Parts: sequence; structure tokens; C-alpha cells
Amino acid sequence: MKAPIFISKAFLKKRKKQTFISILGVAIGVSAFIVMSSLMFGFQKYFIQQIIDIEAHISIKPKEEIEAERIIRRIEPEALVKVYGNKPKEKDRILGWREIIRKLERHPEILGVSPHLESKGVVKYGAKEKPVSLVGIDPTREAKTSVIERFLEYKNLRELESNKDSIILGKVVARDLGIFEPGKKVVLALPNGKTRILKVIDFFNSGITNIDSTRVYLSLKTLQAFLERPDEVNVLIVKIRDVNRAEALARELKKEIKYEIESWQKAYLNFLKIFKIQNMITYMIVFAIITVSAFGIFNIIMMTVMEKRKEIAILMAMGYTPRDITTIFLFSGIIISFLGGLLGFIVAWGIIEYLGALELNIEGLLRSKGFILDKSIKYYLVGFLLNFLFSLLASFYPAYKASKLNPVEIFRSL
Amino acid sequence: MALLRLKNIEKIVDGERILKGINLEIEKGCFVTIIGPSGSGKSSLLYIMGLLDLPTSGEIFYEEKPLNLRDQKFLSTFRNQKMGFVFQFHYLIPELTLLENVMAPQIKAGVSFKEAEERARYLLNKLGLSGKERRMSYEVSGGEMQRAAIARALANDPEILLCDEPTGNLDSKNTERVMEIFEKLNEEGKTIIMVTHDLNLARRGKRVIEMLDGEIRRFS
Repeated sequence: MKAPIFISKAFLKKRKKQTFISILGVAIGVSAFIVMSSLMFGFQKYFIQQIIDIEAHISIKPKEEIEAERIIRRIEPEALVKVYGNKPKEKDRILGWREIIRKLERHPEILGVSPHLESKGVVKYGAKEKPVSLVGIDPTREAKTSVIERFLEYKNLRELESNKDSIILGKVVARDLGIFEPGKKVVLALPNGKTRILKVIDFFNSGITNIDSTRVYLSLKTLQAFLERPDEVNVLIVKIRDVNRAEALARELKKEIKYEIESWQKAYLNFLKIFKIQNMITYMIVFAIITVSAFGIFNIIMMTVMEKRKEIAILMAMGYTPRDITTIFLFSGIIISFLGGLLGFIVAWGIIEYLGALELNIEGLLRSKGFILDKSIKYYLVGFLLNFLFSLLASFYPAYKASKLNPVEIFRSL
Repeated sequence: MALLRLKNIEKIVDGERILKGINLEIEKGCFVTIIGPSGSGKSSLLYIMGLLDLPTSGEIFYEEKPLNLRDQKFLSTFRNQKMGFVFQFHYLIPELTLLENVMAPQIKAGVSFKEAEERARYLLNKLGLSGKERRMSYEVSGGEMQRAAIARALANDPEILLCDEPTGNLDSKNTERVMEIFEKLNEEGKTIIMVTHDLNLARRGKRVIEMLDGEIRRFS
């Protein structure tokens, strides 16, 4: 092995400029893979984690009965149908919800269940008003079954219980209304036409724009009283031990509970699908970059083979075997791949650290003060292995061609 | 006992018989020159004797033992350890210094870098290239390049030195110097087989083989 490496190193050293360009190509490919993976998965993981923390792992709600003649088009066999002008037959409530909660809490996989009464309303502050989703919660139960408190800026969840006329506003709802500190009084207009004056006690800031711009929390009892729906709930929020089991558990619970049961994966199916497409597009781009860098390696090795025909012939005359010749050129590819990978690591690390330190107000699907990055070492390893594999493939053909050269033909042609 | 024996060697390239039933014995320590016009098959014969090319038919014996011409790895190892090549052009690897060029066959043979360097220095010194070990091939003269190529051919102390027009690219002064080296090496016991166009040079061999149309016409 040392003889081919001895020659290979000499070939690479001589072609410093081309070798450096190839190394740079590989470095760009590897760093692009690492940075894009870090950004993409950082965002996706954060989003999913927030969803898992904020939202129900499994939600139980009344079934939406749809009359067959009102179905316009079935999009997917299981879920989505387009329905126009459907009048719900069932009342929007869960009957016997306490019994259901007791039953569910006995399940070993379930951490807790919390009842919600959800409705729509409009919050007014001065001249401004904003349509919102009202969520009536039992603060004691909610604290046990979710991490809602983590997202409250002033940690005043318990005050919902003690102060019946209190409300927690989503951060974006509050901002849009012009409220930046607790203690302000807002008017809540309810679907039954009544209005109530409520004191803002806290802000809910999950970072997910869609939630923070629509949601407000009230005490369950307060909302039941406001809506004149005593002791009624229309959603049960279930938190489970293993979030990845949500879909399987939802299917299991469907057999026992007559209401609509939906896992978080199903509730956010569209987002998960978008993420899949996003991943595919990103990887296609990264794949293209790595392929181009692999072609760079192919190019430099092929060029070396073409130019080094007489050296290959003399090496064979010296006793170097065809396998040694293959190794010489494969090793060149490996060295370029290794050095490029190493440089790619450094570049990627630098970019990730730089992006991580940037203070930006990003507002889209998520709101954050900068890029959300996943700094896992796994992307470095996958990037390196992927690049190594591509480089090996790119080097193999010219290396193999070199080993098949006939020294006598070369000597005769010179 | 012949060091190298060729029995009924035939070589057909693109339907043309370029070597026709060659039978030849090379004794150990002999200085053989092969002469003939272009296309007579002398270089083809040399490549076959050096196991760089394989005959279409026939056998090759080394110290009366038949060589397995199908085993590529064996042939490479055999070339590395028993044979040294000198060509018309030096064919030094331009990426390597003269020293590294002479080290290359030794490293292939498994010799340590230190030992290879010592021997390379010794050979370069012996061939009058002392002080030029770290020079690249393009930094020395044509005659020096050819001497470095001879040093490389001698790197693994081969039994046979196969030379294909080794002076074809040199001026008369350097030609003389190279021939003197060959004669000295032959005196030291090396078997030398040299292909040449030049009758005067051919006559300096102990044995001259004249080739014509792929056949040996005359031994002298």
C-alpha cells in the first residue's frame, strides 16, 4: 500500500492548483449539505417539538357528521373531503367527558388528559379588534398535561382560576391589538352576542405564528359561563409518554371511544408533508452540488490518467501491479475527498456558528430571534460519508481505466 | 544453465506475426545486443523477455523454470525484483526528485524508506549524480536524466537489465558514458540485453543478435 500512496501523493502535490480546486469543490458540497441540513432540520425539529409541547398529542372531539350528498369530492380515502354548507347534526360537545378522562388516565401510555372548551370570538382593545380562537382550560389540569407554562411570559397561569375575568392573549394577538404589558382591559365579543370585559394577565408566546396570532386562553369555567354552556367541553387533550406512538394509540382509542380521535401527526399532516417535500427539494440541490464536486474529482483524476500514461507505463515496468495503479488514483480521490470533507467541516461549522450568532427577527411559520439550527454531529458524519461515497465512485472509473492501460502500447506510441 | 530461455515465442498483433518462433537462450552475465531495422521485432522481443508483453504462444523459462505468464501479480513482482528497464527516453516521473525516482521501485518491493533512500543515494553517486539527488528530472541534463533512469533500473539490484535504444536520444559524449556504465555493470555480473539501431554500439555486446521480419537471422 505504501508504494501507491507514495506515488499518489507526488501526483497530487504536483497539481496543487487543480487539487485545491477539487478540494474546494468537495468542501462546498459537504458544507452545503451540513448547513442546509442543520437549518432545515433545526427548523423542522423545533416546529414539531413546539407542536408536540403546545398541542395535544391526541385530541378527542365530536365527530363531524357529513351527509353523503354534500360531499363534493373525496380527496383522500381517509381524511379530506370537500363539503359545502354542512349543517352539523350533533351538538358540539363531548358527553360523559369526566368518565372518558378517568378511563383514559388509567392507560399506562397516557400521561394526562385535559378538557377544553373551544370557540371563536373577537377581542377588542380600543379601536382595534381581532378575531380569536377561545380556549377554555382547567389551569390545574392543563399544567399537568402540557408545558403551557413554559410559553407564558409572566407565568400567571394560576391567576386564570383565581380571577374569573382574566384572559391570556397570544403574543401576536396582543401585539396586533397594541398590548405590550399585562393589566390592560380588553372586550371579548362572544358568538352568542354577549360581550365581557377581561383583564389581560399574561401573554402566550410559543413562537409558532399561527397559534400565537389566534389563540387566547380563559378559565374553562369562565368560558362555559360566558357561552352559557355549563359543564360542557368539546375537546379532550391527551398527552402521552411516547409522541411517536400517537398515531397507533389514536387508532387503538378509536375502538373504545365514539368521538373523533386525531393524533398530532394527522392534525399536522399538511405541515409534515410540506417538510417532506422541502427535504426532497433540499436534498436534490445538495445532491446536485455533491455530484458536481464529484465530477471535479473525476475530472482531475481522468486528466491525470490521460497525462500520466507514460508514467503509468513506467510504473508497470517497475513492477507496479494494475491494482497498485488503481490504488494510486483511488487514493488521490480519497485524499481530495478527505481534505475537502475536512475543509467542509470547518466551513460548515463557521457558517453555522455565524448564523447561530445572528440576531434577526424572523417571522413566518415560526417566530424567532435568529436562525433555528440543529447542530447535531450526525449531519457532519452523513455529509462526510456521502461525499466519500461519491468521491470514491468518481475516482473509481478513471483509476480502473488507468490500471487497464497497456504499457507496451504506450511505449510504442511515444 | 541459461538465465533466460525463450521457446517457440510467437507474437501476433492485429493478425500480423511480429515474432516468428523465437528460440533464444541468454546466459547469466552476458551482454547481449539486439540489432535490426525498424519493424524487425527487436523491441517486441525485448518487451516479451522483460515480461512487459506476453507472447501469443511459446514459453519463457527463468533459470530453467517455466514462468506462469497468466499470473499478472507474479509477473509484476518478477519484473520488480529481477529486471530493470532503460528506455530511449528517460521516463523519469516528473513529480519525483531523482532520489525519489530511484526509491520508487524499492518502495514497491517493500524496502523501508530509509533503506531505499540510502541505496538510491549510493546508486546516484555511483552514476555520477552525487549532489543532484533532490533535483527534479527537468532540472538536469539529458545525459544525467538517462543516468538517473539507469540508477532506477538498478534500484532493486536486478539480474537482468533490459535496454531499449538507451542511447537513442543522447549525444555521442553521453552515449559513450552510458555504454561505459553498461560495460562496467556487465563486468560486475549484470546480464544486459540492449536493443539498438547502431551497429557500432551493438558490436560492444559480447553477443549480437540480428533480427529481421520477426525472426532471428544471425547470432554472433
